[in-house]
Amino acid sequence: MNPGELICYILAGVVVISALVVVLTANLVRSVFLFFVTLFALAGLYVFSLADFVAVTQVIVYVGGVLVLMLFAFMLSNKELLNSLRQPAAAKLSMLTNIPAGIVAAGVFTVLAISTKGLQLAAPSGMSLFPAGMLNAGDNTIHLLGVRLMTNYLLPFELASVFLLMALIGAAHLARKGKEST
Amino acid sequence: MNFYLTYLLVATLLFAFTAIFALVALYAERKVSAFIQDRLGPMETGKFGLLQPFADILKMLHKEFIIPSAADKVLFTLAPIIIYVAVYMGFATLPWAPGVVPVSLNLGVFYIFAILSVETVGILMAGWGSNNKYALLGSMRSVAQIVSYEIPAGVSVIAAVMISQSLDLQEVSAEQGILAAHPIKFLGIWTVNHTGGILAWNIFQAPHLIVAFVIYFIASLAECNRAPFDIPEAESELVAGFHVEYSGIRFAFFFLAEYSMMFLVSMIAALLFLGGWNTPLPNIGPARLADWTTGTAWGICWIVMKAIILVGTQIWIRWTLPRLRVDQLMNLCWKILTPVAFACMLISGIWRLAVM
Repeated sequence: MNPGELICYILAGVVVISALVVVLTANLVRSVFLFFVTLFALAGLYVFSLADFVAVTQVIVYVGGVLVLMLFAFMLSNKELLNSLRQPAAAKLSMLTNIPAGIVAAGVFTVLAISTKGLQLAAPSGMSLFPAGMLNAGDNTIHLLGVRLMTNYLLPFELASVFLLMALIGAAHLARKGKEST
Repeated sequence: MNFYLTYLLVATLLFAFTAIFALVALYAERKVSAFIQDRLGPMETGKFGLLQPFADILKMLHKEFIIPSAADKVLFTLAPIIIYVAVYMGFATLPWAPGVVPVSLNLGVFYIFAILSVETVGILMAGWGSNNKYALLGSMRSVAQIVSYEIPAGVSVIAAVMISQSLDLQEVSAEQGILAAHPIKFLGIWTVNHTGGILAWNIFQAPHLIVAFVIYFIASLAECNRAPFDIPEAESELVAGFHVEYSGIRFAFFFLAEYSMMFLVSMIAALLFLGGWNTPLPNIGPARLADWTTGTAWGICWIVMKAIILVGTQIWIRWTLPRLRVDQLMNLCWKILTPVAFACMLISGIWRLAVM
């Protein structure tokens, strides 16, 4: 086993273990901070799949954005409220109330398993990002991504940006003081 | 195996550099503040107080680690390390001279912005872990400020990247001097591939980048939590903000992170706008000044000099301007810097299509 493979397995292990601890830990704030470890290790796994752009975006969006937002929500709320939110010690996976969630999770995993069974990692010809259909470490992925986003995938890209703009305008409208309430 | 040894050596060198730089900057900060306020500054330890930073570090090393009894011990201990490591990892893609770069990454600039956003998590960790209302308020102010000012900083950086057509900082700096592979023009009219020097820098290739540079510089002050954007640390109201409970070497790590961050943002500014490791001296007729002053040793000298001048400006500003209020801070960010940065980005696009 070469060092690269070893690091990959260590990262995968960190992702799984930290994700489990995030779900099972009683201290909510610590579990959010641990979520940071999960996201960071996941970014490492993206690097091993030669998706370096996705890895960096993962860090910038989830760590710099979503995680900080979650932490802000915690810090603005009362500490006593957080303590009362802690899971009771009797909560176990086998409880009756967990059955619907369990069924949904099992369904999702079944779909995942079925859809990835016959999956080929190379994209179909004509859709592939790279001329030879193969990606090498050190390829200028961001250049190709940019070209593809502006040619083959322009419509989804523009749709996504319009949606984000709508969300932004909506947020600005909600945050604005109403004329009569001032 | 040599491969890994080189990596370790480079990492150690960068760490040593940040540590030494922090010591020098600490001394410079005291002396500059003293001169601005018409004092002498440290004069007792060594000639002109030159040994003061070493005395400070010795004092820090001697101090006891104090963990408040109600603090979250794990988060409290980890926070300074995460803050420092986030800044330190940013150094990985910064080029120092032609061919001298720890990692030449296609995503250089983007990577640095991502890794610096980890710092905010560290600050929140310190603020929450201390279990102190001043620390919590300081960390929340700090993060609100960093997250807001990332937008004008990011957009003005994009304006520069659009002119250089690369996110790889090594390529960005190569495109601003006599080593450029593409035609470069001073103010978009005069080809300066063989002249080089200050004429080939990004801010003179496309003059609107001067505005982008100023925006980036202001935003980078805010990201370092430096005055006039130091409401997170505001001594007079919040004691010292998010690091109020820290002592000894952990406190030293906050300082190390702050000064490394100052150098890092200054170096990014130098690389993107001020020609990177390129010489400011142009070729004038037979005096091939640019050819003579381009090389590995020269490159390191130029980039360090440019970054140190910018750090000096940061220190100068800190001791000259008063602190901004929160509403003024947000007004400046959202109503002035962000629209102007977007305008710069737009002009960059037009410049790229119409002029270059």
